Amino acid sequence: MSALGGAAAGGEGINPTGTLVGIVILLVSIAATYALGFSIIPLIGIIIGGAFVGFGVHFVPVGGAPAAMGQAPGIATGVAMLAAGAGLAGLFGGAWAFEATGDFAIAVAGGAVGGGLMMSITCMMVNATYVFAMGIPAASGKVAKDPITGDTFPEYKSQGTEGHGLPFISFFGGVIGGIVTGLGGTLIYLALLGIYETGLPVIMQAEPAAIQPLAISLAGIFAIGFFLVNAVLAAYNITGTIEGPHDPKFKRVPRAIIGCAVASAFCGFISMLIVLNTGM
Amino acid sequence: MEEIVLGIGITALAGAFATVAGAAEDTESDIGSQGDPNSQVQLAPQMGYIHRIFNKAISGEPPAYGAWCAIGAGVAWALMQVNFNPALAIILGSVIAVFVQGVYCTSGYLGRTASLAKFQQPVYIDIIKSLLSVTMAHAFVAIFCTVAMCHLMATALHHPFALPLLGLVWGIALGAAGSATGNPFYGKERQYQNQKFGAGVPISASGNIVRYAEAGQRSSLDNGWFTTKFAGPASGICFGLIVFLELWRTVLFEKMVAGWGAIIVGVILILIFTFIDRWIEVWGRKTYGPYTAAEEASS
Repeated sequence: MSALGGAAAGGEGINPTGTLVGIVILLVSIAATYALGFSIIPLIGIIIGGAFVGFGVHFVPVGGAPAAMGQAPGIATGVAMLAAGAGLAGLFGGAWAFEATGDFAIAVAGGAVGGGLMMSITCMMVNATYVFAMGIPAASGKVAKDPITGDTFPEYKSQGTEGHGLPFISFFGGVIGGIVTGLGGTLIYLALLGIYETGLPVIMQAEPAAIQPLAISLAGIFAIGFFLVNAVLAAYNITGTIEGPHDPKFKRVPRAIIGCAVASAFCGFISMLIVLNTGM
Repeated sequence: MEEIVLGIGITALAGAFATVAGAAEDTESDIGSQGDPNSQVQLAPQMGYIHRIFNKAISGEPPAYGAWCAIGAGVAWALMQVNFNPALAIILGSVIAVFVQGVYCTSGYLGRTASLAKFQQPVYIDIIKSLLSVTMAHAFVAIFCTVAMCHLMATALHHPFALPLLGLVWGIALGAAGSATGNPFYGKERQYQNQKFGAGVPISASGNIVRYAEAGQRSSLDNGWFTTKFAGPASGICFGLIVFLELWRTVLFEKMVAGWGAIIVGVILILIFTFIDRWIEVWGRKTYGPYTAAEEASS
């Protein structure tokens, strides 16, 4: 029961009514896109990219305020914020790679590696701070043994805390999270860039080459916006802190994927309306 | 060849800017108490511990620095469009962004502290007078270095994003790197200096932050002095490494292996950092040892 006397909400389950409403919104967005004469391929790219971002955020080990006092494991900042930092670093790399090579696969891989590199450096420096400056070894509060290295944690957990630092499984989760969010963000950017590169010259009646900087900037701004929408949705699904893929909260990930796909579909449809040719 | 040499030079300069930006960002956030440790500054009066620590967190560091760097880069970009000298444009853009930061700090401190009135926490006007200029000065260094770094990326390295967009992207990344690396040192080592070294703060001690210095009450300036010993430089190294290696792998290896060179090098770098992280983790476990015997902990 909740504090207000109603049935308990949240948890790991998927709400069938909510999911149904979400799927209807998703299908309506796709249908509306098609009805207005747009190709639905870029929208599918945006939806997949959004789902990747929502999925990747759940890997990032975030301890929030308790982690800043060594009271809980993870990185001492907010879920959406850290994921955005990693994903946007990936987006930077992906956009640059696409500019230089024009190859879709290289750009997406470049975005993924950019996000992963940012997270690997950040996670390493977090552990360096805990170990070298604070004298605190890493210990998980959610599992007794690291699933990858086999290190045991209960005896390394200081009294009165839920653990601290970044055990290897959390570091691994952080890097995977950076890779997946970087990949998703770049996918969204490339889908939007394709729409604006073809749509803007038509409605502005200008040469494609002259419109290119505007198309890139618009796609970049919208990609950042999409990224934050999906990262914040995933953060709400996590509710507070998460240690990484071994955390029981990770089981909530299907709900986030559905939510992010629906939000991305609707936002994607809105972002396409900018280049809607009304003939005016 | 000449282009690559120039690219490496620009990469090194951008990395140096990023290192200074990271160090200044973390020190600013520790003096202003903006990151997650601020939860304790807000909690302390509610537990009966009245203090004189600056308290200006409204949002996390990443969105705050994203906004400030985007403002700085946006103004600089606009000035450059009307043929201002880039150095002057970046300085003026950063100055305007710092004024926004100052307004944010003032309203943050007054609003947050006033909300604690029912717990008898006073609003100290002298804290605003003495600390506001210090946080603004550090924020100026962080914003100027980030915008200058973004300008190098846009003009010398030809990144497709416009300067304001680069300011937003790297401002958010700056805040994320600085808060992730620097927060635990400020939160645990400084705020809870009265707790044992080498252990996390017990949850029961929450709110009991150190409020007194060698003479008189502790000021947030003391916190800046303390955190520049580790948290500031560590955040600088973190952000500097991110920027430098991201640019370095692209500038040097992008054209190799049919365009996959930069990605292969990126994967190798991730593996190297994974190895270093594991070494640090094992070193910590071996050096400090367990707090309790394994059987006792599991029982």
